[in-house]
Amino acid sequence: MQKAVFILIGLIFMVQPAFADNIAEVDRFMKERLDGIMRLLEDKTLQKTTRNEQIIDIISEAFDFTTMAKLSLGKKHWTRLNKEDKTRFTQLFVERLKASYLEKLDLYDDEAIVYSKPVQVKNKVQMMTALVSGGDKITMLYKLYNSKKAGWRVYDLELEGVSLITTYRSQFNEVLASGTMTDLFAKLERPEK
Amino acid sequence: MTEYCVASLRSFLELRLYDDPKPCTDNILTMINRQTFVLFFVIFSFSSFFGCATVGGPSQVESQTLLFVQAPGDTLNDAQVPEEDEGFDAFEDEFTEAGIPTVSDPLSAYNRAMTKFNDKFFDMLLSPASRGYSAVVPEGGRGGVRRFFKNLFYPLRFTNNVLQVKYEQAAVETARFLVNSTVGLLGFFDPAKEWFDLEAYPEDFGQTLGFYGVGPGFHLVLPFLGPSNLRDTIGLIPDAYMIPTTYLSAIQISGTSESDRVLIAIGVESYRRLNDASLSLEEYESLRRDALDLYTFLRDAYERNRQVKIKE
Repeated sequence: MQKAVFILIGLIFMVQPAFADNIAEVDRFMKERLDGIMRLLEDKTLQKTTRNEQIIDIISEAFDFTTMAKLSLGKKHWTRLNKEDKTRFTQLFVERLKASYLEKLDLYDDEAIVYSKPVQVKNKVQMMTALVSGGDKITMLYKLYNSKKAGWRVYDLELEGVSLITTYRSQFNEVLASGTMTDLFAKLERPEK
Repeated sequence: MTEYCVASLRSFLELRLYDDPKPCTDNILTMINRQTFVLFFVIFSFSSFFGCATVGGPSQVESQTLLFVQAPGDTLNDAQVPEEDEGFDAFEDEFTEAGIPTVSDPLSAYNRAMTKFNDKFFDMLLSPASRGYSAVVPEGGRGGVRRFFKNLFYPLRFTNNVLQVKYEQAAVETARFLVNSTVGLLGFFDPAKEWFDLEAYPEDFGQTLGFYGVGPGFHLVLPFLGPSNLRDTIGLIPDAYMIPTTYLSAIQISGTSESDRVLIAIGVESYRRLNDASLSLEEYESLRRDALDLYTFLRDAYERNRQVKIKE
């Protein structure tokens, strides 16, 4: 009986640090990146183009764009594409995502950012952040997974509870339900307005 | 076509009451149930007919089932590109087709048309008007006006917090109202947030209904107001009774007729919306650029966001 208790305690101690390590790693990794972005946003001496390039450099380290492209198209459609189309789609999607992210930052440049401690969800880690201005709060949830090659990377972002991947996926489904990949490429290239 | 009607009927029935969160809410549940069900049914019997009549050709439901039927073919493809499959497996639980909530949308044809109308309204009227307004009134002033109205909407937030047994939040709301109405000069400033770190807890009747397990019903785009659903649209009615501007028409001003006062109330409410819009023009424009299909985008974002807000 005593033995069992010791083994149990031992197990708890063995498992706990592994969880805590992930959390701490994501916490440090994301805070560094986001603080970097905030510093760039606050630096009014920078040219907007150079600033944006540097922001893209930072988010490229944190975001796994290729996986995001794949996930947003979904397995069903992705596996049907040939190699060129996969590359083309990824490229167009990533360009769009970057542009959209920069635009969102432009909207909220004077706000303070508040971080919450990351939480483990199954084998992934989620980190809640909030942009606060005046009485309003906009929540942004960064969802990370452990990629074997590059460590923890963001694969989805939830803005006010609305997942980026899910939103794109249902739109892609909508376009592909009545159109072809060519239609989708055209839409990705040329935003509606 | 009949399959489509059955599908929309089924999704309507999902507007059921879930397991009640608290036993003491039983009475309220039956009350809401009895009163609203008749109304739901009337609207539904009209809408399902309308929806089935307008959505012509192969519906989305059919095309989706077709794709599922073809699904076994995927295994062949997967064998050719094994590394791709591995990439998806890690996210299987989160992003499977089944994991993505589908929105009940029997009125999609009408909804699309109304989304287009609202978008045109934004471009032709709201956007130019609020740009002109912004040129005259500086951002600080517009923020003040927004806070002033927000403060007046305290009864709405208070009541819905209480209805959802969120007494602590209701108390915070009351404290905010008292501080901001006095020290905050009739609500033009927000010292409650700045000095005492008291945040507002926006709740509406749609959320209250959701809290007691009422499902969203079908998606419904309202003229001028934008995306909504059956539940939240019904929620607007009790909400209107808790908004002070509704009572503007009841205030007796000498020399004005009843219709004048209604116009004044509409004018004030329009001004409030214009002021709000002037502070968030770019947000809508940016969202619109993100969308591949504006209607689907706004619909899904709205429904998902409401789900999250109800859970909070």
